[in-house]
Amino acid sequence: MAKLLDKQRYKCALGAMQTVQAIDRALPILHSGPGCAQKLSESTGSSGYFSPNIFPCTSINEKDVVFGGVKKLNSTIENALKVIDADLYVVLTGCIPEIVGDDSGEVVSRFEDAEKPVVYAPTAGFKGNNYKGHEQVVDAIVDQYLKKTDKKQKGLINIWADVPYQDLFWLGNLRQLEKLIAELGLIPNTIFGYKRGIENINKIPEAEFNLLVSPWVGLSNVKKMEKKFGTPYLHYPNLPIGATETSKLLREVGKFAGVPEEKVEGVIKEHEDYYYYLISRYADLFLENRVINKQFTVVADAQYSLAVTKFLVNDLGLIPAKQFVVDDTPKNHRDRITEEFKKLNFGIEAEVSFETDGYKIHEEIKNHDYHGYPLVLGGYYEKEITENLKGNFLNISWPVQDKVVFDNFYAGYEGGIRLIEDIYTVAVSRFN
Amino acid sequence: MAYFIAIATSDGEQVDRKFGETDSFHIYSVEEKEIVLSAIRKAEGSDAPSQNASKEADASSCGKTEDPGCGSGCGGNSQACGGNGQGCGGGGTVLGKVTLIEDCRCVVAKKVGFQAQKQFEKKAISVFDVECSVKEALEKITSYYYKIDHRQSLRTKDVE
Repeated sequence: MAKLLDKQRYKCALGAMQTVQAIDRALPILHSGPGCAQKLSESTGSSGYFSPNIFPCTSINEKDVVFGGVKKLNSTIENALKVIDADLYVVLTGCIPEIVGDDSGEVVSRFEDAEKPVVYAPTAGFKGNNYKGHEQVVDAIVDQYLKKTDKKQKGLINIWADVPYQDLFWLGNLRQLEKLIAELGLIPNTIFGYKRGIENINKIPEAEFNLLVSPWVGLSNVKKMEKKFGTPYLHYPNLPIGATETSKLLREVGKFAGVPEEKVEGVIKEHEDYYYYLISRYADLFLENRVINKQFTVVADAQYSLAVTKFLVNDLGLIPAKQFVVDDTPKNHRDRITEEFKKLNFGIEAEVSFETDGYKIHEEIKNHDYHGYPLVLGGYYEKEITENLKGNFLNISWPVQDKVVFDNFYAGYEGGIRLIEDIYTVAVSRFN
Repeated sequence: MAYFIAIATSDGEQVDRKFGETDSFHIYSVEEKEIVLSAIRKAEGSDAPSQNASKEADASSCGKTEDPGCGSGCGGNSQACGGNGQGCGGGGTVLGKVTLIEDCRCVVAKKVGFQAQKQFEKKAISVFDVECSVKEALEKITSYYYKIDHRQSLRTKDVE
């Protein structure tokens, strides 16, 4: 019997058009059917200079399935270069052209001598979801655009984190990471968001090392860059939220980059002092509150599931019920990530399930005894079930429906405070 | 199941006629993988007068006529089909020709105007506006339909 996947939390690989959109003045050119961009676009800050409604698209139809769509792709790229002023053009292929065998790579290679760079990322849906698509886009830039250089800039660090737009807090999170790295006296380099773009991309090969802050997304990219540019990488396996993890990250980066220990500790102390000042001011809220119970569940991609679990256990002293990773993490990363869920303070270990079926997740939440009101942090899909269980719900992962996020963030010391604010806002508004 | 393919061609070799300008269709009958030319259907008779004009004098006469029926029949010059806003506006000719081949599964022509495309869409007839040899068109289209009818993948090469 056919299987149904209920409440899926990701899109097809072509969703990586959002990764391209996150690069300032980069334009996706879609070799796909006419409905793809429409379905993949969302109104979560995706309008602007380029938006999914104007992405050039070959809009392939039955004729192109039968006779091939390379001619159309050629003319679409050619004309996009003429009429749309961008710095980087990224051709993304959907399922159909790849199934019927269009050689899109060959067509794109005809534009090698174009004035602006044109690269190509195969993002057919059957190759994976938009997390994989994101990696494909970064790979395409590294493989086809960037060149190895002997010029290295001392202290320059490329920072890579999870998928823009899929992670609603992507912009704020990246800026926080940049800020923290800069405080160590290093020079952060990211390619996504306001005033980054092509100039930052050009700097990638000059970096001293790559810092990857993610459980698995982007690991293949930094490995590729190590091979191609000889840039070593530091893989920090989760987004740091709150003091425990952020201080740990800073120490690891400091050690890797050879920053004097006193300097690192100085930065950490200043942040931690303020962080714990805030926490202590609200200690009575944490202690006397009868609404947030000890047990919680996170339903999110590997990045948030792991990050929030660590934060709630290490910094807030809550106890993990079962955690769910919903991004269809590739099997070869699962054991490593499962181990990460066991590295919590106080000898606590969290059980984790890599599950993409929302129905099964909800059944497990329903059947678990949370010893009180459950605290569920997840996608909007979890709102109803949490309400039925009279629990507390916070929407932190895709799909996000009940909040608008411009550049808010959960990463870093400040991010931890923001997350506490959000959780306890849910709690205190409960009986109002 | 057997089906028909209508091709706008002057010589049976090349798909060299636009839908609007052609006065006949080669009708191929396809049974499984066997392709046979079963008829050449003439458009005249069922058409508006302008059709005959376009048939005889091709581009020149058609461009001049004021008959809206000329519509997509304005062949010959490069902008013919849909090139000038009203170009494909003529109902009679288009409808006549659409009706002529309405028992076909698809129609192949060098170009097909917008109105004609819509009329075919309404009848669930596929439109392939391509320039290639009749042989190539037949091969590609029949292989496509064969795969669809036999629920086979459209994959043409190994996809990772």
